[in-house]
Amino acid sequence: MSAIAYFLESEGLQTTGISLVRENTEALRPPRFLWTTFPLGRPMGTPGDAPFQRRVILAALDLLNRKSGPVLEDYPEDAPTVEIEDHPACPVSFARPSADVSTWDARLRNELLQMKPWYDLSRHRRGRTTVGVAKVPIDELAPRLAKLVDQGSLEGLDFKPLKYALEDLKAYYREALTAQPGTYDFAEIERTLWDETELGRAMRALDDLFAADPRLAQARRIIASRAARND
Amino acid sequence: MVRLVDLPEYEREHLLSKNMPPLGPTPWVDLDRPLSERKIALITTAGLHFRDDEGFEFADASYRVIPGDLEGDELVMSHSSVNFDRTGFQDDINVVFPIDRFRELAAEGLVGGLATQHFSFMGAGLQPAMYEASVRKLAGLLIKDAVDTVFLTPV
Repeated sequence: MSAIAYFLESEGLQTTGISLVRENTEALRPPRFLWTTFPLGRPMGTPGDAPFQRRVILAALDLLNRKSGPVLEDYPEDAPTVEIEDHPACPVSFARPSADVSTWDARLRNELLQMKPWYDLSRHRRGRTTVGVAKVPIDELAPRLAKLVDQGSLEGLDFKPLKYALEDLKAYYREALTAQPGTYDFAEIERTLWDETELGRAMRALDDLFAADPRLAQARRIIASRAARND
Repeated sequence: MVRLVDLPEYEREHLLSKNMPPLGPTPWVDLDRPLSERKIALITTAGLHFRDDEGFEFADASYRVIPGDLEGDELVMSHSSVNFDRTGFQDDINVVFPIDRFRELAAEGLVGGLATQHFSFMGAGLQPAMYEASVRKLAGLLIKDAVDTVFLTPV
């Protein structure tokens, strides 16, 4: 982000924006940024809170009035905390169905069937979905992951389709897991995804396969977050 | 919260490893122009694009075009990093790409106008200098669109 600001400003455009990691911005010394304490992934702070988002934007735009820089100003407000009375109940029963569960492929197919009503509810409630990067139906994506973990090796790995498949599968599960009305704790959703679903377990197995190959160490970042690996 | 002191050590060390030296002396544009006369473009590094667009590669300095009249609900995300929350984006595009907030500011006359197109990069896996060619080219397009100000959001 800081590099983009640097190149745009050096071409004559005035820039301002949001910094999420103050130390990174401070090091690169771009012209103007407003540092916020918001979580990574939420540069405007809180979804659905238009007045808060507007205040953040206006504070960042105000930096355009400064006469010299670099400017790295701290935004005084934290993102509003959401009162979570209880962790939302996981909307999916993970009791294993009686069908074949001897392979990752079978387990993931079963789980997707259980997720579907909740994903459908999410689409209905939100009026949108963020699934669709891979451009193929979701039930064709799980086999891409299952094939690798079932064979226990990365033979035949097709990296780009796998990256998009994982993105869509995780989006599908997150939308299903957050389908219930009311508030949720996104860290708890991540914990549920990684610790309580077959998808999470399959992705950990895939991550292990990547970790075993030094050439693929960097590529692990499409699979498991550092938080998930350090659980 | 992204206060480093609040993060686990592995996360703190990772984020600090991203500190890079300046690309050069800080460039500075001083526009003596009120917000109400400015034309603003939004640029995100969240790896957003339309469902039908080509997704972002593992490491990718290219950008995707987001037309100014988009319906925000049409966007998906193919960012290569999994180390940030995506549920906020699922609930509200504006928490990542605040297009509705800027439309409101433009409708109120607080900002002069919005760009014909906005843009999305995918900020992961590349040294900062790798973005130079595509960003400088993009700057020319923005200037042709009479944009004078860019609002940047990371992810």
